[in-house]
Amino acid sequence: MRGLAILAASVLLTSCGGSERGQGLYIQRFFGECTSDYGTATNVAKAEGECGIVTTMINAFRAAHPQAEVSQNVVAWPGYSQLTSQMAARQPPDVVTMHSGVIPDYAGKDLLEPVEPYLAAAGIAPAAFTPAARQGVTWNGRMYGLPWDTHGGLWHINLALFRQAGLVGADGRPILPKSPEELLAQGRQFRERTGKPYLIQSLVGDPAGAARTLYTYMLAQGAPIFPQPNRIALDTPEGRRVATLFRQVTAEGIGTSNMDTPAAIAAFMNGEGGVYPTGTWMIGQFETEERTPGRPLHRAYAVAPFPKLYGQNVMFVSGHAWVVPKRERTVAERQAVADFFRFMAARNGDWARTGHLPALRAAIEGPAFLSLPHRRDIAIVASIGRALPDGVMRQSAVEGLVGEEMAAAITGQKPVQQALRDGERRVNEFLAEVQ
Amino acid sequence: MAADAVTARTRLPLAAWVGVLTGAAIMLTPLLWTLLLSFKANEALVGNSAAALAPPWTLENYSAILGHGQTLRWLVNSFIVSLGTTAGVLILCSLAGYGFARLDFPGRRWLFVFVLVGLAIPGQAVIFSQHQLFAIADLHNSYPGLILPGLTTSFGVFFMTQYMRAIPRELDEAALLDGASHWRIFTRIILPLTVPAQSTLAVFTFLGSWNDYWWPLISATRSDMYTLTVGLAAAQMNYAQTSGLGFLMAQAMFASLPIFIVYLVFQKQIIQAMAGTALK
Repeated sequence: MRGLAILAASVLLTSCGGSERGQGLYIQRFFGECTSDYGTATNVAKAEGECGIVTTMINAFRAAHPQAEVSQNVVAWPGYSQLTSQMAARQPPDVVTMHSGVIPDYAGKDLLEPVEPYLAAAGIAPAAFTPAARQGVTWNGRMYGLPWDTHGGLWHINLALFRQAGLVGADGRPILPKSPEELLAQGRQFRERTGKPYLIQSLVGDPAGAARTLYTYMLAQGAPIFPQPNRIALDTPEGRRVATLFRQVTAEGIGTSNMDTPAAIAAFMNGEGGVYPTGTWMIGQFETEERTPGRPLHRAYAVAPFPKLYGQNVMFVSGHAWVVPKRERTVAERQAVADFFRFMAARNGDWARTGHLPALRAAIEGPAFLSLPHRRDIAIVASIGRALPDGVMRQSAVEGLVGEEMAAAITGQKPVQQALRDGERRVNEFLAEVQ
Repeated sequence: MAADAVTARTRLPLAAWVGVLTGAAIMLTPLLWTLLLSFKANEALVGNSAAALAPPWTLENYSAILGHGQTLRWLVNSFIVSLGTTAGVLILCSLAGYGFARLDFPGRRWLFVFVLVGLAIPGQAVIFSQHQLFAIADLHNSYPGLILPGLTTSFGVFFMTQYMRAIPRELDEAALLDGASHWRIFTRIILPLTVPAQSTLAVFTFLGSWNDYWWPLISATRSDMYTLTVGLAAAQMNYAQTSGLGFLMAQAMFASLPIFIVYLVFQKQIIQAMAGTALK
């Protein structure tokens, strides 16, 4: 018994003082853990999926820069609770993955370092990034992260059903609507000829999807969604126009209204609808279906940015970035961060195989990216993509509130104007609390 | 004859059987569904989760979990933290319960009320100060850092106090007359009588600690100190509920397996503990 107690005490005590972050470059990231498949792999070209590609890249960096003494911590998605804890304990990592919409929350509290010095040391000019990617990491005029990708909403299209509906042009490309009226007309035609819904909408438990639609088409009408960084304006003519259009889509049965994300993905893959509006990240999955004989999407998959229904061809986008939490660093540690930036930027094109758009102009304009399936069709997103104004805090939480109310409007749970008013009120009350 | 009468009295009527079986089916279906999904390749489930009902099934999701270098480490961490927390709670709550139930000291009532107030304070309300405290003490990413917050359980103190209060005082008084010290009375007389309560408290504490996610998530920020819940969550890809459904379900089964084994091994004691507590 006494021996057991001594053993227990020694286990507990030897683990004390374990909060040392260790020497060298401490990288913290999401995208999952897959060391069982890619534990020691360094050939980035052979890696697949977000986790495989990023794991292999970091393995390759570790092999190429042994002096950096890289350690890696994989956090549960999205990892901000852990990061905030580490910052509170004054032990943040050196480099961390972060969504561009979250950067203002940390940069605004002086918790991140501007990265221009690291970029300069890595030999990367800020102008090397696409406008959307650069805007995503900019706060108050400074860049607070190495832009890593741009992701946004896309229309994933079942070409076989489009053909059946008479919505494929002579060039074999899908005919997409150019106005709200055309959207309704094509949707009705599609429904009539195929007996299936034109739009597969994921409106249950997926507020981000509904928010993307509202943001994109309000931006397209030139509406200032945030007249001030701490005030949103949704109950506007532009907002009502968008919400009313998609309410009508659902009310007429042109779009589904009762699906969550897994159900919507399954429905699209099983050929139960024409278009599934979701993000860049699903391209890989649907490409696999496109290559698989016997599947409804076999040789019948196309993808396009959200169609231009209103004045301007713009769309709401977000992105991933590598940020540098603020803390004292030695010259060697700063050099390790710069080396990491240079290494990752040079492999930005490989990351595009995940479906996300590269953040570097050279990568997105390069033959490697453009030769990937469908990427030529969506490369324009890097130019037409727009982030929310960089002064807007808590964009992720705001997106959740906006999406909930927009989904309520589309499904008819609330009248359009009430949903938009509720969304506006909830967001403004929330922003008043967090400012 | 008498045995027949007892059997007849304890036999459930048909309606009760139907009710019990329906309830069991409702509770077992999600578990069986999870189990089936966990034996199916992720790719097969993306388009249609009903594919889980038909072969081929595979162990690849489980091999992916076990193939991960740190899974066993997380499992060991969870055991150390859960067992450490359970042992600590039992020791502290028994001692505190004895003090409140049996000893007279100034301010006892107020101190007990103070402990009870803890029942009304959610853990989240003190998370910042708690995190700061452990940061100052340099206890994050350590076993004590993961165990110590779990030891302060108002419920445990209240539970043991109430249980000990129900034990007849005559037992202590007889022992005192025989010259026994309070420590001797506590260890030799009261403690053995509280085994059912200890078992119940141990089960609740172990389960709570094993399933805890929030504190390990923010205290253990280094992957070698993750508990199983945090580690498995970190191992998930994005959109695990769509493109990694089989793996996600295998994780759920794997994480609940130790708890299931605990129930299986100790079910007699657990049922006795519940019944004993109810009768008290």
